[in-house]
Amino acid sequence: MLYLVVFFAIPSLIMVLASFRTPGEFGGLAPLYEEGRLDLNLDSYARFFEETIYARIFVKSVVYALVTTFCCLLLAYPLAALIARSSKRYRDLLLLLVILPFWSNFLIRIYAWMIILGPNAALARAVNGVLAWFGHEPVPLLFSAFAVLVCLVYVSLPFMVLPLYANLEKHDPALLEAAQDLGASAWQRFWRITFPLSLPGVYAGGALVFIPALGIFAIPDILGGPEDSLIGNVIKQQFLETRDWPFGSVLSIVLTVAALAIAGLAAWVARGNLATPSSARQARA
Amino acid sequence: MTRTFSAIRRTLLASLSLAMLLVAPPSVAKDEFHLYNWNNYIAPETIKRFEDFCQCDVVQTYYSSNEELLAKIAAGAKGYDMYVPTSNAVDALIKGKKLMPLDHSKLPNLKNIDPRYLNPYFDPGNKYSVPYAMSTTIIGYNDVKMKELGLPTDTWAVIFEPKYLEKVKGRVTVLDDENELFGAALKYLGYSVNDTDDKHWKAAQAVINKAKPYWAAFNASSYIKELTVGNIWLVHGYSNDIFQANLDAQAAKRPFHIVQGMPEEGAVLAVDNMVIPKDAQRPDLALKFMNFMLEGKNSSELTNLIGSGNPNLEAVKYIKPEILKNPAIFPNKEVAAKLEQLRDLTVKQRRLRSRMWTEIKAGH
Amino acid sequence: MPSARVRPVGLWLAASFGYAFLYLPLAIVVVYSFNDSRLNAEWVGFTLAWYRTLFGDDAMIFAAGNSLAIATTASAVSTVLGTAAGVAMHRYPTKLLSFLVLAPIAIPEILMGVSLLIFFVLINFTLGLVSVALAHIAFCIGFVAIVVRARLAGMDESLTEAARDCGATPWNAFRYVTLPLIMPGVIAGALMAFTLSIDDFVITFFTAGAGTVTLPLQIYSMIKIAVTPEVNAVSSLLMLLTLALIIVASKVSPTILRSQEELAQ
Repeated sequence: MLYLVVFFAIPSLIMVLASFRTPGEFGGLAPLYEEGRLDLNLDSYARFFEETIYARIFVKSVVYALVTTFCCLLLAYPLAALIARSSKRYRDLLLLLVILPFWSNFLIRIYAWMIILGPNAALARAVNGVLAWFGHEPVPLLFSAFAVLVCLVYVSLPFMVLPLYANLEKHDPALLEAAQDLGASAWQRFWRITFPLSLPGVYAGGALVFIPALGIFAIPDILGGPEDSLIGNVIKQQFLETRDWPFGSVLSIVLTVAALAIAGLAAWVARGNLATPSSARQARA
Repeated sequence: MTRTFSAIRRTLLASLSLAMLLVAPPSVAKDEFHLYNWNNYIAPETIKRFEDFCQCDVVQTYYSSNEELLAKIAAGAKGYDMYVPTSNAVDALIKGKKLMPLDHSKLPNLKNIDPRYLNPYFDPGNKYSVPYAMSTTIIGYNDVKMKELGLPTDTWAVIFEPKYLEKVKGRVTVLDDENELFGAALKYLGYSVNDTDDKHWKAAQAVINKAKPYWAAFNASSYIKELTVGNIWLVHGYSNDIFQANLDAQAAKRPFHIVQGMPEEGAVLAVDNMVIPKDAQRPDLALKFMNFMLEGKNSSELTNLIGSGNPNLEAVKYIKPEILKNPAIFPNKEVAAKLEQLRDLTVKQRRLRSRMWTEIKAGH
Repeated sequence: MPSARVRPVGLWLAASFGYAFLYLPLAIVVVYSFNDSRLNAEWVGFTLAWYRTLFGDDAMIFAAGNSLAIATTASAVSTVLGTAAGVAMHRYPTKLLSFLVLAPIAIPEILMGVSLLIFFVLINFTLGLVSVALAHIAFCIGFVAIVVRARLAGMDESLTEAARDCGATPWNAFRYVTLPLIMPGVIAGALMAFTLSIDDFVITFFTAGAGTVTLPLQIYSMIKIAVTPEVNAVSSLLMLLTLALIIVASKVSPTILRSQEELAQ
């Protein structure tokens, strides 16, 4: 814990302090003491609340992150379930196979997606062929919100699979067999036993996808269209091009607080539905 | 279970020692010169020749934008002996008192530089900086496609006017850089790239917003790839990149050329300069390097490699003729008069521009 | 005793789609490492030239080695610390603790990178591989902790209590009972930490020293000129190397990757 305090709390305090300061003329921060007086102010915070554009981008980013989380959940669940149920021999292999692609470099994976989604590639031609059949104009797959979302889901997938797997692995198959013997259908077995038991895993995976997805900027930079800027891009811009670190800090702090708040809210909801093995047995008794 | 822990401990120790090995400095007694530069912004032969010349090791690290460099320096990073920032970044560094004054007695080759590029606005007397290489931000295009569509290639209008953009909808990209794009829009409207009048900025923003629906993306990194492959036909980009794109297109035997188009309204000129940080460990090596790079032959190698502009008059002798003839790389006096370097803005101006940029990119 | 597993076809299909989604881009990455073109955009022809270039490219290999070293160290340390954090979070579910552990992953990377740099400069710490490793550990802890906590949630406490009742000290109870039960979570966390570290760019950029290069730094700086297939080559090889290392490690200590429950059976 000491480690965290040192390496996290102090730098974040520096940044929180920075949000109250004025930006230096050339970049970075202006000197803290100006003629013996402490130069702190709420200017940057005021700007955030005054100019609604930032709030709007923020909401858009939240939406993107939520969509990403949901899609990740849909894709990851079968993967995690399959791995969890596999025999010992294959389980580790399958798990490794899930994470292996992510040890290659981020940039070339994105470039690979650019190839897949490119206007002359098979996928785009197929999609546009179908659209043309309906008399619709061709739609660009690359440099669009669709490309951004696909890539967001792609890079976040292992962070949903792993926590889900860790949770699903400990589910007792006897419960499911018992339910099957009692006449429950596959869907019922899943929805009323497996899913509620896996909620801590769902929540963990969701947090690990949603929170980083809120702050991402590289993907919209490389494959986004002209209007796909997210709050992560704005923050990056504040730190680099505009060199307005106090404002960048404000945006970051709002982002962090909001992310944690949403995660906390989800946890609170999940706790309400949490089922432990003993209470599940009780419920069906 | 002890096996688990001992295994973990073993792995930990192994990796820590591996890390230590890599952290420990090499036991070579050679001097080290730490150069912080753009990637691919110096020819490998030049580095080797310098290493022989100075009997030292050149350790290169890279950044890919001035902003990254400035952010790192502003946060206090040190250990470098030289940076190569663009003029507006040098301006910021000088104002922030981060640079070491140069000892001109060690730079006899400074006389090789074209006087047009000496005594810049941000560093009169070249007290802190020396020009290295240049590039312009212009139009790049696929010559076959543009001829087919009958579009002009020597004016910013082709990037900003819907009547031209209609024909290339979804096949145009512009730079994802607020200063560059605003600069181009201001030039198109007939103002200077360094114009700071709010009203002019609003006009530029309007021009950008009108053209935006036709653009495929704001992109400063992968646009060259897309241009070379033929997915994108027209870009707002850097002359070096476009030069490289053409080389790649020819190497891949594509049925078109990528051509640089210099707009008649003028464009942004970016001069990159060598500077020495105040806390450099080996300023002597840095000065040696500077003087070395001011020699005609050494300076020419970069131009021959990536098609960068060259402020060094001596270098002209060594540069390939086809590059010398290229008006986008070596503009004639008329065009050169219309090229302007970007200046650093004040905090208030940066904030305003940043907000306008965010509005553009958020699609309001 | 492992009983007959239920394996509906639907599950297989959905999972296969998932794997396909994961591997399609990767297949392109590997295939394009043989592409006879400087750009990563279209297939031109087959060549081994990029692998040859890679083996002559000391800088790239050095960078790759650094990345591997940092990632191994960072994931090892953060797994240990993260597991401790996860257990602590489970036992003392206070808001403050959760906040402290989770905040590093919520904070945008640029902010984290810049503030860590300021911090390092403040305490006059030399920037280099170690500073990067420390930074990576800081944000990996949160990931491991969340996974471990999720694994602990809903775990049957009675086993641990029984151990305590039989006279085991808290440490032994943890070591011999809890830890094996949460091992899949710990492993999952370690894998995630490794992945995060080996590919991190933003934080590494700010906390790296003057001569420090990691693979992402090297590659990202090429983004403007061209990310040549040499990058594909180094990535493919790095993946294979890491896979090989893990397989070897698992053969050497097979107990690590198995849950204790299975072994007991």
